[in-house]
Amino acid sequence: MPHTLIRAALGAAALALALLPASAGAQVHERPEIGEPVAFALPDTRHFTLDNGLEVTFIPFGLAPTLDISLQVRAGNIDDGAQTWIADLTAAMMEEGAAGRSRAEISRAIAAMGGQIDISVGTHATGIGTNVLSEYGPEALQLIADVAMRPDLDPAGFERVRANLVRDVDVTRARPGAVATEAYRRLLFGGDHPYGNYLPAEDRLRGYTMADVTAFHGNHFGAGRSRLYIAGRFDAAAMETAVREAFGTWAQGTPDNAVTAPARAGPAVRFIDRPGAPQTTVRLGFPAAGIGDPDAPELTVMNALLGGSFTSRLTRNLREDKGYTYSPGSSLTWTLDGGFWTFNADVSAADTAAALRETFAEIERLQSEPPSHAEAEGIRSWLAGIFILQNASTGGLIGQLSRRDLFGLPQDYLDRYVPRILAVPDAAISDAARTYLPLDEMTLVLVGDLDLIREDVLALPQLAGAEVTGPEGE
Amino acid sequence: MRILEGLAAGIGAVALAACQPAGTPGETDGAAPPAGAGGFTVDVSYHSLDNGLRVVLSEDDTVPTATVAVYYGVGFRNEPRGRTGFAHLFEHLMFQGSRNLPHGAFDTLIYGAGGVNNGSTRYDFTNYYEVVPANALEAVLWAEADRMAFPDLDADQLDNQREVVRNEVFVNVINQPYGGWIWIDLPMAANENWHNAHNFYGDLTDLDAASLADAQAFFDRYYAPSNAVVVVAGDIDKGETLGWIEAYFGHIPAGDPLPEIDVSEPRQEAGKFAVMEDALANRPALAVAYHMPERGTPEYYAMILIDQLLLQGDDSRLTRAVVDEAGYASDVFGGINLLGNAFNYDGPMLWTAGLIHDSEFTVSEVMTAIDATIEGIRTEPVTQADLDRARTKLLSDFYGTVDTATRFGLVDLLAAFALFDDDPGRINRIAGGFAQVTPDLVLATAREYLRPANRTVLEVRLAGGGDAAAAPGGNGE
Repeated sequence: MPHTLIRAALGAAALALALLPASAGAQVHERPEIGEPVAFALPDTRHFTLDNGLEVTFIPFGLAPTLDISLQVRAGNIDDGAQTWIADLTAAMMEEGAAGRSRAEISRAIAAMGGQIDISVGTHATGIGTNVLSEYGPEALQLIADVAMRPDLDPAGFERVRANLVRDVDVTRARPGAVATEAYRRLLFGGDHPYGNYLPAEDRLRGYTMADVTAFHGNHFGAGRSRLYIAGRFDAAAMETAVREAFGTWAQGTPDNAVTAPARAGPAVRFIDRPGAPQTTVRLGFPAAGIGDPDAPELTVMNALLGGSFTSRLTRNLREDKGYTYSPGSSLTWTLDGGFWTFNADVSAADTAAALRETFAEIERLQSEPPSHAEAEGIRSWLAGIFILQNASTGGLIGQLSRRDLFGLPQDYLDRYVPRILAVPDAAISDAARTYLPLDEMTLVLVGDLDLIREDVLALPQLAGAEVTGPEGE
Repeated sequence: MRILEGLAAGIGAVALAACQPAGTPGETDGAAPPAGAGGFTVDVSYHSLDNGLRVVLSEDDTVPTATVAVYYGVGFRNEPRGRTGFAHLFEHLMFQGSRNLPHGAFDTLIYGAGGVNNGSTRYDFTNYYEVVPANALEAVLWAEADRMAFPDLDADQLDNQREVVRNEVFVNVINQPYGGWIWIDLPMAANENWHNAHNFYGDLTDLDAASLADAQAFFDRYYAPSNAVVVVAGDIDKGETLGWIEAYFGHIPAGDPLPEIDVSEPRQEAGKFAVMEDALANRPALAVAYHMPERGTPEYYAMILIDQLLLQGDDSRLTRAVVDEAGYASDVFGGINLLGNAFNYDGPMLWTAGLIHDSEFTVSEVMTAIDATIEGIRTEPVTQADLDRARTKLLSDFYGTVDTATRFGLVDLLAAFALFDDDPGRINRIAGGFAQVTPDLVLATAREYLRPANRTVLEVRLAGGGDAAAAPGGNGE
């Protein structure tokens, strides 16, 4: 189950394309020009609201005779309270059976339509969805409604389902990336808000009861806090009838009362020992403005240029020039009214301090010198181009629209996105780096062989004055 | 957006109609495709240049992008002894520049045009692909031709990418729990022929030994038009696109015939049992692998359906038995060709299933549940309803593969069918192979290919013998 906040994995960079002059015999053909940008418009969508508050969006799109159904319920880990992953345990129990039909029966029925029921829990929403052959749309919709509205929540399967989650958490904790992210979130948000609790403690998880699950479902599921997206090839009239039949009787549910939390500024550094690790897993980050903030376009372009694309400065430097790492990257993660920017990488242990030195230097360089117009233009063009790809599938369209709706963005948000990106001035990219990436307020987590890395890392001048913690016992 | 209903009704409805389920969900009667499903046919146009370069074009203007893929007929199986991992390392080198696109300029061209690119190395091919707004198509074709003709193989870049690949192996395998067991260690244990049984990510010492001379020799031998396929799909004009391909690729010399290598596997006559320790894991794991029927045979199609019946989806028998009923694991995973799919390889292959289980359950217990499920399909004919459901899942999977934002799934199938079968039109005839599979063929295929003697079991133990429950329980038959 994904436990990421909704990520804006947008980014790009582009150094000015330095073509070699055409010397005799060096090339058979001149490089062709790239033509005029193509026109692209989002497909027309249709929206309606049921009397019980369910918001419904139809998105006709695609070639193949299939459709995606996605019910997004505003019930995510942000609603866990002190019971980290109770949303996940609830979702897992919902998969066990609904409306009197067992998991085996439901899984066979939906498989016969070409799909399966997928329930995923994110920071802000639980998604219940499927992808089936078009002619089965109405029947699949009814199954989705059964799972959302009438889960059996049969105690018979509870011990096994909870044991599955315990196992999944345990296996996840063996991965250095998860260990790093857990510590990073804790530094950014503390332990008192769900944003800061990435994984549950095993003993807490083992203590959750069937009553906790029933209560979570009762308190967080309902038509008034749900949105239904249907994308693909389907008969809209038949599907609207099916939607009204399947969901019309759903109770409105409890009003949404999610409480958000801002990310905290550092400086804070945490070391976690992984003896013998050949690489150090790095998380470096800062609080950011939210997706609806006027600074979001500048942040998005800055992220793409610095670390958010394969042509970004950090990728070029750390990977293509130095060979310190295979997959460096940066991203913006949005929360309900804010967000944070993160650089992540797994760097060879011996190069850990050097990789951080280069990372800090790239941030400082961007802060002090605006990018060239050619580089900035390349990044803006990339973001505009991949916007097409982000909206070129049923799943992509549902993701874009549901994100717009979850964060309460204007209806024309997606239509205005590319023009707003293209309007970001070159100098504003450096402004964003200065405003949002103050190195003296960094949050840094390193998971690696501390005997090999700790001393060199702590000698970096940018870490002077940071609160340093870990490993435990020190 | 182009709706293919009308078009497909006449031309290609037959293609996948045989897979269409009929009647109400959960019931099947094998009747005609249901009304309203629409047909679906992939547009395929196939050409060959004088230098042997094969070209596949597929037009669809759903979104104004174009996807370009160049597939070379060289993969893990071809790499030289003493140079394990070389095919993949060389793939990295091909991104480092060409005569007219020096270091970094290729990526900058693609990204600056609003696209993305990548490459991958697999058993029998290495591919390079881009998706860009359609206005950049000609420039992308020019760039791919430039690197096919004039790659910049450079010692400094080799050293740099050696470090990048070392870090790739660290992050994906060596510094991860369960890093390589099921997709590297298990094939190494199951296969006998070195070409199939070596570590294809590469021993680090072999990566260190790779030289620029190796790279040049590898390029000269394998990266020639006669050993390559170019696929272009999307919002394109096929005539204009073919003209560009002829102009930019047509001058490249064909290349010599490839050396013959024998990649065949002997028939396995006794079960194998392998054990490895994973110092980073905290739960034991277990996987089984069986050698597949030869690609393209009736039994191969039956085995693809068996994979659906046993392993794919919540309704699959192993999921039901091992996860839902026994509670041994959270998930059972695997399939045919873990680094691709059932179509994009050309040689011996494994069907694999694996799981991570709690230490309190012994290997014997877990194997007993797996054995009982597999014996079930070897002894009882599947019902027509089960078989039809498996076909429906495959059809849905197929749509999911070919109808994506990047069209990478589509171009991959077209390239594989061109490279291995000289017949990309096969993409519209896949269903025919599945339509011929009967319950009797499923039973016969399971009896032969799911024999215990055709199996390799790989057990992943925790380090330091801490896994007391892991004693082999006579499963190594």
